[in-house]
Amino acid sequence: MTHAEPNEGGMEPGVNQDARRRVALIANCLLNQNAKVCEGAHYRGVVSPVVQALRSRGYELQQLPCPELAFAGARRWWAVYEQYDTPAYRAHCRRLAQAIAPRIEQYLRRGDEVILIGLDGSPSTGVRFTSSKPDWGGRPNRPDDDWDIVPGRGIWIEELEAELQRRGLPSVPATGWALDMGRFDEAGSRWDLEEFLDSREAAARPDKDPAES
Amino acid sequence: MNGADARGWRIALLPDALVNPRDASRAALPDVLGILEAAGYGVLQLPPAGDEGPLLAVIADQVAEYAHHGYAVAAVGVLGEPGGGLHWRRLASLLQHRGVALPPRHLVRAQADTAAEGGKLAAFLADYDLPVEEQRRWRV
Repeated sequence: MTHAEPNEGGMEPGVNQDARRRVALIANCLLNQNAKVCEGAHYRGVVSPVVQALRSRGYELQQLPCPELAFAGARRWWAVYEQYDTPAYRAHCRRLAQAIAPRIEQYLRRGDEVILIGLDGSPSTGVRFTSSKPDWGGRPNRPDDDWDIVPGRGIWIEELEAELQRRGLPSVPATGWALDMGRFDEAGSRWDLEEFLDSREAAARPDKDPAES
Repeated sequence: MNGADARGWRIALLPDALVNPRDASRAALPDVLGILEAAGYGVLQLPPAGDEGPLLAVIADQVAEYAHHGYAVAAVGVLGEPGGGLHWRRLASLLQHRGVALPPRHLVRAQADTAAEGGKLAAFLADYDLPVEEQRRWRV
């Protein structure tokens, strides 16, 4: 596949700024909690606060595939980053990234504002944090809360970002909804997400007083 | 499934046009995403026509996994769109290869009474689920 080189913002030359859309790439389970591992669903289906925050700010939604569901199934065990960090799982994530990347590339080359909302604490979809426990394995009888939350991307987000980089696309501003951080705090997560979205809006505002900068 | 888990066990396939209605069609359609949300359905978003590529096969894998493990999967499309906007023929073939039948489908009528259309969709969603024996088998 060949492409015209995008400019600094990843945009094709001559793209009409007025037609610029806002697109949020969202973790599969933010639209579908049935994708979560057993005991991981905090909502029946759609994660309403996330959808509400994005739609009220004019974002279109682009749901990402769920790598864990397709790889380890609906009845998979809980797992941490180290358990999914295998060549086979990374190859699976790359295949999914190659399936969704053309859509993302289309948005970026059209000049749309694209953001990514992952799932903090997830071994796959974590953005700011992922889960870690290098000695997890074998019989699944670990006690509650026997894993660590550490800064870093999940495997799926790492592979997705690598695929976008391979295509010469700019990095996408990202944050995570803190659903998999051990104890879920909806109010805190909402505040955090809204702060991220509002900071994007403030940065993009064209009528900023030059004296302020 | 543990009682601490809130999943609704019901999922709807939804065309991009209903996840992200354009300004021109927004007033002509009920808020389908909002209705699904209120009914406790999860959503699997389908790509627009022409953009499906390998993504549709990835989604079919997910549908098969759900269908084989006690989840009720339905489809909500737009009347008048080819295949309801759901890539119906291609989806049928992909699901057949995975040993899964096409899900029940409800088509929303655009440019009609949006409240009435929304009511019909809500009734379809409320009525649909797997037989009780199937639910008992999986949802414990």
